[in-house]
Amino acid sequence: MLSSRVEDTPWVDSFDLPSVFDPRLPLYKEWHDFVFFDRTNDLFGLLNFAVHGNPYDARRGYGAALAFLVDSAGKAHTAMKLISLDDLTVSPFSPDFIGGGVSVSYRKDNSFSIEGKIEDISFDLDVPVVQPPVTMSQVGFDVLSRNRIDAGMLGVAGEMARVWDKWVELPRLTVTGNLSIGAASYELDTTTGYQDHEGGRFDWGTVAGWDTGVLLCDPNSGGEPEKVSFLFYRYGPSGSSSYGGVIVKPPSGEERFFDSEKMTITRSGEFSGDRAYLPGVTRLLYPDYHPKISETIVFSGAAGSDKVEITFTPKAVCTIVVASITNEAETTFNEMYCDATLDATIAGRRYQKTIPCWFESVRPRGSLNQDGP
Amino acid sequence: MALRLKPFLEEILGLLKEDFPRQLERLIEEADGVTYLQVLDKETAVIIVRDSRIEIASKAKKKEINVRVHMTRGCLFDVLEGKRTLAEAMDSGDLTVFGDPLTLLRCYAIWERVISLARTSPRFYFLTYRLR
Repeated sequence: MLSSRVEDTPWVDSFDLPSVFDPRLPLYKEWHDFVFFDRTNDLFGLLNFAVHGNPYDARRGYGAALAFLVDSAGKAHTAMKLISLDDLTVSPFSPDFIGGGVSVSYRKDNSFSIEGKIEDISFDLDVPVVQPPVTMSQVGFDVLSRNRIDAGMLGVAGEMARVWDKWVELPRLTVTGNLSIGAASYELDTTTGYQDHEGGRFDWGTVAGWDTGVLLCDPNSGGEPEKVSFLFYRYGPSGSSSYGGVIVKPPSGEERFFDSEKMTITRSGEFSGDRAYLPGVTRLLYPDYHPKISETIVFSGAAGSDKVEITFTPKAVCTIVVASITNEAETTFNEMYCDATLDATIAGRRYQKTIPCWFESVRPRGSLNQDGP
Repeated sequence: MALRLKPFLEEILGLLKEDFPRQLERLIEEADGVTYLQVLDKETAVIIVRDSRIEIASKAKKKEINVRVHMTRGCLFDVLEGKRTLAEAMDSGDLTVFGDPLTLLRCYAIWERVISLARTSPRFYFLTYRLR
């Protein structure tokens, strides 16, 4: 297996800034997603720090910081700030993202300091990296080397390699510190933090979307695996093909991969919980735009004697519409905070528990199949 | 200090000429004949579109003005940031619009397209926030 160490985080998780001579500079985009769930406060958080467009031209590119938080009452709080590139520091030598009153700094002790203010949301967090980074190449290598290779695997591997320059995850982070939403303050202390970092030079009009996410497991609480994550990536001329799977890692054991070819995905009902839209101008441009989200989504599959079933129940959703800088294409990100009811049997041990989950569903805006498999 | 309304509109026009010349040409075509009075807090500016030309003026003859829009800065940014819908802004009286329905509909479509362009242009976005 290709592997990294925690110490590799600064270069694996740094920004892959393209060359100034790159003809696809206007299509550049790259971001950090930090996700956590604090069980004491019953608080879900997603903090996104992104660069969009030509990173060397403040007139053609910009930075953005976004927060999506869900409190114990299920209310979604969102905030977004655009940052001029004149005021933003990112580099190919570190994961740092500093500017516009927010800062993500990687420290020598292999932890992030994340602080700043986005509208009425303030945070000052200490985020040590607990487990080594995992790259797209590592996941691909593991899946291809341990499983029978099929057309879906090759199709999606080719498509992801075409689109993405970088797809990295930090599977476990500790998150401690303070966070406030308006007048409400929270002291966070959780080991269920997660980060992913993606980047590429592509037009939104050429991407058919994906469903990805992670169950924010706490293996110390008993009855939970070390890791449960999933990715179903859509590809092909009309985005009708999809391939991916679910990865389950027991607390002390080898990861199990459940191939989407041997899984069923069922969706039912319609989500009616709290919903937010970003950027705010989306509400002005498309006042009636409410892409359909299912009330429940069930992944069910088997691999040999192991089996997995996850029932996702979205509790709050943030719909983000991203517009292409070069044409009229738009992509919708439905960022969902869900309850994920896991029923899995891995190597004879059964895991049955409801675990908080981050689920990201991405489709071209206006796609008829907004919520499809 | 916040940018004033007339210099803001002049800068927007310059930006459109530089970055979106084809879209500007089409906007002028669609807005031909419109004399649009914008009141923002206590400032006024007039956008005059005539004979394939667009001009930002301080005032215009009363009878030439066929659209009047009054709003506050607070209301403008609430609407742009999705905190209030257009209907809510109108109901509250912070946004008032006068003009014949057909001209208003044309103006609405034009603003919709301008806002769509603004989403893809960081220059446009940061310039707008200098107005705040």
